[in-house]
Amino acid sequence: MKKFFTILICKLLRFVGKLIGKGSSMPGQVALKLCPDILKRVELPRYIIAITGSNGKTSTVEMIAHILTQNGKTVAWNREGSNQIEGVTTMVLSNATLSGKVKADILLIESDERYAKKTFSYIEPTDYVITNLYRDQLTRNGHPEFVFDAIADSIHDGTRLILNADDPLVSVFGNGRENVVWFGADELSSDEKELHSVYNDGAYCPLCKAPMDYSTHHYNHIGHYACTSCGYRRHDTGYTVTAVDLREGWLELDGKYRISLALKSLYNIYNILAAYTVARLVGIDGQAIADDMNDYVLKNGRVIQFRLGTRKGTLLTSKHENSISYDHSIRVACACEQGADVLIIVDAVSRKYFTSDVSWLWDIDFEMLNNENIHEIVLAGAYVNDLAARFSYTGIPQEKIKLYEDIPEAVDYLNSGRNEYIYTITCFSDKEKFLSKVEEV
Amino acid sequence: MKLLHLYHDIMNLYGDYANVLAVQRILENSGEEVTVERLSLGDDATLSDYDFIFIGSGTERNQKVVLEDFKKYREQLAGYIASDKPLLMTGNSFEMLGNTITDGDGTAFDGLKLYDFTVTEQRGKRSTADVIASCDFLDKPLVGFINKSSMITGVRNPLCTVTFGIGNNDAGQTEGIADRHFYGTHITGPVLQKNPHFLLYIAGLILGRKPADDCLLYEQKGYDNTLKKLSERIK
Repeated sequence: MKKFFTILICKLLRFVGKLIGKGSSMPGQVALKLCPDILKRVELPRYIIAITGSNGKTSTVEMIAHILTQNGKTVAWNREGSNQIEGVTTMVLSNATLSGKVKADILLIESDERYAKKTFSYIEPTDYVITNLYRDQLTRNGHPEFVFDAIADSIHDGTRLILNADDPLVSVFGNGRENVVWFGADELSSDEKELHSVYNDGAYCPLCKAPMDYSTHHYNHIGHYACTSCGYRRHDTGYTVTAVDLREGWLELDGKYRISLALKSLYNIYNILAAYTVARLVGIDGQAIADDMNDYVLKNGRVIQFRLGTRKGTLLTSKHENSISYDHSIRVACACEQGADVLIIVDAVSRKYFTSDVSWLWDIDFEMLNNENIHEIVLAGAYVNDLAARFSYTGIPQEKIKLYEDIPEAVDYLNSGRNEYIYTITCFSDKEKFLSKVEEV
Repeated sequence: MKLLHLYHDIMNLYGDYANVLAVQRILENSGEEVTVERLSLGDDATLSDYDFIFIGSGTERNQKVVLEDFKKYREQLAGYIASDKPLLMTGNSFEMLGNTITDGDGTAFDGLKLYDFTVTEQRGKRSTADVIASCDFLDKPLVGFINKSSMITGVRNPLCTVTFGIGNNDAGQTEGIADRHFYGTHITGPVLQKNPHFLLYIAGLILGRKPADDCLLYEQKGYDNTLKKLSERIK
């Protein structure tokens, strides 16, 4: 009876919450109060696929749900992106019958990396995708090794791990383990032999701390690595990006399936690869996946096309406090051969908590913007001076950089007399301040 | 002038490296020729060759690896500090100079024992905070961010007193360590860019004269903004 009432109340709260526009955490929170082990009491589908990691979780989950749904599977997933135990509980119970059976072929769970242990102490995933470990929200997450330990505590022995072989910090999870599926990219035309970044989290072996050698870097510490001492090295992959052309905008999977890219970014490529890997493991045909992913445009609102007067542009939602997220966005802008202006806004560091920390600006490879494709750079927001201080070390000529503390003034400047394409790079916490001044297309 | 960035590729969280660039720039703007050397594990430096030394913060595991290597510098480092040359250590790097560091599993690691303090790391927990802290040798407070797993007890000569944020341990408001011109603080990242008055102070020590102060406009405005935002939080 307790189970019945808990599910009923959760469903009612979710229904009312949707009507009044409330978030998806609260119903689950109430359900967990009423019945703390409710997630243990429900009957789950055969496939329980969990996804965690620093970046790409939400996009990857959306892609997996899209592919599986297109191929006739029913999927229960946290599409609102509430990825801590409360949001997961809301999602699971909303998709359950009142007797407690989840009505789906596949339960797909995006989980916050730091608190995955809590969620997965109740639910044992059949498959667990770990995308990457980056410096992210240092104000909350400390550093990648600290997050590694938090994720390690959430892994069950019986779960099959699906790991990014190209990330040496993630691959440690598969060290000495049998049931692991590896995905990764072969040496790519976009690779760098020498790392181009202001720091390298792959400089030392995560196991023995001896120096690591990279034969190729896809980006940052993601690439083909081998420890110079203990034998730890990139694992061979079962699911592989075999070629990419970021200029033309396509990638090739397992030497067979070519996918045209709506977003020409390595970030996008790894999300597609992870989604492809999961879909293949669930039994979907490779060509069918490629068809579903062809020119796929994410619906989660992270990449938004806009118009400003006569000018066109793209907002690339990036995460403040996450340098690799910024690096990816910067690479997209730099690839714009007809020339582009870039607007970077740092006004509120986070939408969830207060901090005035801008250390992370110094981890971003803004030096990449010292590129002939980038014409002007407009820096804006309350932290414009911290941005300007950082940019003063990039070697970019001062006359190319404009500073506006006020975001509307920065937009007005962009809307007068210039024609270049605009890339706006900012975070969830600040993007509405920009979008309210332009026309979304 | 010669600057040393020690353990640059392993003790390098949060943009720590930028502190060395800040010192280099202000010395060059003050008319000096500057060389920066970046050394790491297994290298052998002669510390007395340098006019300024910096070490940044690392993960707890990396700090233990560095600690083993760093012990070879114990006598040299004591001599360097005694010679009144400036040394800046941010984050958990300065923890290495104490008695012991006990990790989250309870294993104790011997420090260099140059100072009589003790470090205890907390397993699975971090202490983080935006910080305002006053230093008796600076006319304005320091601002920044602390992100650590440790509690430090027994520091007799702290760097500063925290008026907002967290100190060396939960019991008190003192933060970091200072001895002659050695400054250790858990305020991490580009501390000197964020605190241009601290940069000017350190540059003055290196030069033995007043440094050029006309290249810090953005840093100054950034500092004012952060101090204002943090002060508003106190109210």
